[in-house]
Amino acid sequence: MKTLVLGLGNPILSDDGAGIRVAQDVGEKLNDPQITVSETSAAGLSLLDSIVGYDKVIIIDAVQTEKGQAGQIYRMGPEDFSVTKHFTSPHQINLVTALELGKMLDLAMPQKITIFAVEAKDITTFSEKCTPAVEQAIPEMVKMVLEELVG
Amino acid sequence: MKRITIDPITRLEGHGKITIFLNEDGSVANTYLQIPELRGFEKFCEGRPAEDMPQITQRICGVCPEAHHMAATKALDDLFHVEPTSTAKKLRELLYSSFYVTDHTTHFYILAAPDFVMGPDAPPAERNILGVIAKVGLELGGAVINTRKQNHWVIQTIGGRPIHPCFGLPGGVSKAINEEERAKIEEIAKSSVEFAKLSLKVFDDVVLKNKDYLNLILSDTFTQKTYYMGLVDKNNKVNFYDGKVRVVDPEGKEFIKYAPRDYLEHVAEHVEPWTYLKFPYLKKVGWKGFVEGKNSGVYKATPLSRLNAADGMATPLAQKEYEKMYSTLGGKPAHYTLATHWARLIELLYAAERMVELSKDPEITSTDIRNIPTATPDEGVAIVEAPRGTLTHHYITDERGVIKKCNLIVGTTNNHAPLFMSIKKAAEDLIKPGIEITEGLLNHIEMSWRPYDPCMSCATHALPGQLPLEVTIYDAQGNELKKLSQGIS
Repeated sequence: MKTLVLGLGNPILSDDGAGIRVAQDVGEKLNDPQITVSETSAAGLSLLDSIVGYDKVIIIDAVQTEKGQAGQIYRMGPEDFSVTKHFTSPHQINLVTALELGKMLDLAMPQKITIFAVEAKDITTFSEKCTPAVEQAIPEMVKMVLEELVG
Repeated sequence: MKRITIDPITRLEGHGKITIFLNEDGSVANTYLQIPELRGFEKFCEGRPAEDMPQITQRICGVCPEAHHMAATKALDDLFHVEPTSTAKKLRELLYSSFYVTDHTTHFYILAAPDFVMGPDAPPAERNILGVIAKVGLELGGAVINTRKQNHWVIQTIGGRPIHPCFGLPGGVSKAINEEERAKIEEIAKSSVEFAKLSLKVFDDVVLKNKDYLNLILSDTFTQKTYYMGLVDKNNKVNFYDGKVRVVDPEGKEFIKYAPRDYLEHVAEHVEPWTYLKFPYLKKVGWKGFVEGKNSGVYKATPLSRLNAADGMATPLAQKEYEKMYSTLGGKPAHYTLATHWARLIELLYAAERMVELSKDPEITSTDIRNIPTATPDEGVAIVEAPRGTLTHHYITDERGVIKKCNLIVGTTNNHAPLFMSIKKAAEDLIKPGIEITEGLLNHIEMSWRPYDPCMSCATHALPGQLPLEVTIYDAQGNELKKLSQGIS
């Protein structure tokens, strides 16, 4: 099964780099020609370009929710974001729309997409380091992604 | 006093927020636009080698990394006092033109087209790219995806990496292209020209042939008379990669034309207590508040501004479209904010035509791609046109080339005042006593913002892409009267 592990985020914006950090750590622990580990700061249509052609995709990212605790880890599927199908992003389309577009245009879409996200504390200060709570969550996320790859 | 907030909350905080305060009678009392600024960039850069800047600055924002890479690379030329080789300049411009094709394509089909193809009052669930493709045809959807994909290949081939290029060096670029690559780029360039022509035809069929839409473009609500800024070549034609900054007044007369190094003589920044982001204005006119006209230093730097600030386009097909646009809009300069979408498509055609020219240039496969700098670095300034406006990078280093100070003026910052004024005007014109505040009305206000495609850095990657819009209306006692929302369950 052709699998993609994709870290999302901005590596120089504090906790926004968490997804990329996790992907890099996962990449170091793997040696399987069927699994590609990649990172991107892109969204929407570019995200679609990245995932086309894979059977299984694991996306890792940082999130900020209204009541979340920094460092909290979430495991989600695209269906969890179905409410955001609307035209919403200021520059791009969101994941659900990107997936629907892919299906509509008959592109080779993944059968399974899993999203791991960590609750971020600071995503507006330029820094290559995450805040302590997010930093602590990184090894746990790496473990979860590796388990997901086996399962 | 009632309060309406259009508050896009994404997965990551830090997006713009529009707050509208209403009077007792339901008319608009005041409007505020808040764009949070990212912190600490200058400090982050201090102490790093200047050569890192093309890599670091393109990470500021996931929307136009290529623009930052290009501005930073050119600032390094200036900093190290080295002139790039002719081939290096052409390779840079070829990549940059290809980037413009991808960026303008994305903007038009994802952001602009839903309003016009589906209609500004269509339910938000239909007013998106899926609706556009369902209506205009799967074939066009395939062409959008394919044009982007092919041009990402061009960016990767010339720039060494997709999205975040790594080829810019002081004095040139890090790699040449071979004949096989050149031939493929030429082919992609030609198909991009066809795609741009098709996009202009879609605009013609869907927007211009619809009298209501044309009237909307020409309406007072979306009209704003300011100064216009854009980079021009030696013939005063639009150029994205290099040239002088030209500013025309609201009557279209050249006001100033300056070299990048002189930007601080011409642009100053105004500060307001309610937002961290500054408001640039023309120093020689002065800050007169959020007002239009010749006596106000407010200027715009958008695709339409670039066309207004220039005497024309440097390629034949784009020039024809340029003439057609101004004759339809009743002359130059055009003050119609929504015509920015049209200008963007003309720029798309220009970028594709320029790609064809450069890909056929006999020098483009030369291996003479770099002049090694030998002078001591001190200070460097460069300006390129980012898709969203004039982009300035300015670095000061020590004699080893280590950054001591860095200043950036990005596309959206230029447009901060006009963007705020556009929203304010739309809110005041559309929200009147006795008029029900509907989603369609809210979208009309958003339409005043869309042409600028404001770039708030943190919009790098919208997964899960939750950008709900919320409008809450409070009565004079602060009680919630009504709540409208998009994208919120």
